[in-house]
Amino acid sequence: MRRLFHLAVGGIFLFMLGPLLVVVAVSFNGGNVTVFPPRDVSMRWYASALANRAFVSAVINSVALGATAAMLATCVGVAAALAIDRWRFPGRDALQSILLSPLVVPGVVIGIALLVSLTSVGLRDSASRLVIAHLLICFPYSVRTVLASLARIEPSLAEAAVTLGAAPRQVFWNVTLPLIRPGIAAGAIFAFVISLDNVPISIFLIDAHTATLPIAIMSYLEYNFDPSVAALSSMLILAACLLALLLERVFGLRRVLGF
Amino acid sequence: MRADGVFGLVRRASSEAPGASWTPALLVLPALLVIAGLLVAPLVHLLGFSFHRAVPGRMALEPGLTLVNYARLVTDGYYLGIMGRTVALSLIATLVCLIMGFPLAYFLWRAPVRWKGVFTLLVVAPLLISIVVRSYGWMVILGDSGVFNGLLIWIGLIDEPVEIMFTTTAVLIGLVHVQFAFMVLSILAALERIDPSLIEAAATLGATRLRAALEIVAPLALPGIVAGTTLVFSLCMTAFVTPTLMGGSGTRVMTTLVYHQFVTVFNWPLGAAVAALLFVLCLGIVFAFMRTVGRSARRMEA
Repeated sequence: MRRLFHLAVGGIFLFMLGPLLVVVAVSFNGGNVTVFPPRDVSMRWYASALANRAFVSAVINSVALGATAAMLATCVGVAAALAIDRWRFPGRDALQSILLSPLVVPGVVIGIALLVSLTSVGLRDSASRLVIAHLLICFPYSVRTVLASLARIEPSLAEAAVTLGAAPRQVFWNVTLPLIRPGIAAGAIFAFVISLDNVPISIFLIDAHTATLPIAIMSYLEYNFDPSVAALSSMLILAACLLALLLERVFGLRRVLGF
Repeated sequence: MRADGVFGLVRRASSEAPGASWTPALLVLPALLVIAGLLVAPLVHLLGFSFHRAVPGRMALEPGLTLVNYARLVTDGYYLGIMGRTVALSLIATLVCLIMGFPLAYFLWRAPVRWKGVFTLLVVAPLLISIVVRSYGWMVILGDSGVFNGLLIWIGLIDEPVEIMFTTTAVLIGLVHVQFAFMVLSILAALERIDPSLIEAAATLGATRLRAALEIVAPLALPGIVAGTTLVFSLCMTAFVTPTLMGGSGTRVMTTLVYHQFVTVFNWPLGAAVAALLFVLCLGIVFAFMRTVGRSARRMEA
């Protein structure tokens, strides 16, 4: 019975991780077609992926967009979290739900709503559209991690600072801010990840020059199935693993996700 | 209650400073402007769009409000089929996630402390990997010359590759894979609030492990099961990348229908109506589900 249970758990882990392992294995393929197991080992598809102009410009677009959106989202999110934390009247919970509401609206719905609205107000520049949209979907994560950080601060610390004669401003800069720094960092990193992965909103707002990385991969897959996508994907898997470890160390991955 | 945080103390300490109470309002203002300007207003605008008739062949609207888009969606078999498929796929995917998720969450909960962190990270970390990459992995496995078919042919079970990619089954597998971790995390969060000594007590009283898990732990984990089920269901309803990459034109769901209407057919009002229905359907089913389950949970307690 116990062995059966462990067998089932092993199967579930295989189901979860198998596709990722297959991608990495296929990326070292030497042949022209995507086969598993690879017949001979080579790095040629990594070279091919890095020589693909569409992929390279998409990486640059995605990193620039993610960094900009994460930075703006952090400013907006940290300010809002601080406000909620010191809010005194009964609307506090409602306010918090309102600030997290972008997380419950389907991405496709946000995408077309912004497409329709930004077109009607005359904002046609695709890069600005993307930054605006990503700010909207990224800042709630910053609110969440910073609120979680604020909730864990021992009130006696600020009390002690005040007793020792610190002004409110000093308490904030010297006590509160250093304590919530991991929450701010985790929120910013996760906002970057969310921006990087987004497809259902971005796909309505890109133009020929602003395609982001996941969308570039999707359109490449429409007509090609060579292992260069596997090579690119393996690099993305590696980057995601590093970010996951970083978030786990800084803040705890489950807390970032809100569980 | 923790409302009296650092700022509460600071506020009290500096209560003589006039105008200090405006600070929170100013701090939250940018976020509220973002919500109002980039979420609420566009959603209202989109809803308005869905009540207009498109001028054929041009990206323009006819004046005057109409329900013609919604009428078409709820009478035309093609659109009804897509909506039915979306709901059915989401329900099945959620059920599979639940059946696989509870044992795994249980395993993580009971795992030795030393290993628990590593195993949990293995479940959570893939969430940071792009869904496009994860779907591509399944394309490699399930394709005609993929790992799965290759294995079956090698064993000699089949002679010709089975067609899985671009079918509903492929979309289902992809949805389960992408949303599964959310189910595990929701249930695990509920399990961690249960006192593990309950299982030992059940064992002392002669219950088998399976019976203790199903009759004692599962009912106590119900809040997590409900939360995970609703979360996974709405994530499946609104999934876009998986049905796009792993499905074909025969497995269109509501999100890909919206894309098709907006980008390929240019019928924006009809697309807007589909989006509005998707949003309402999603909220409605989640709300109904939570009410029913909440009621039965209360009955169980009584």
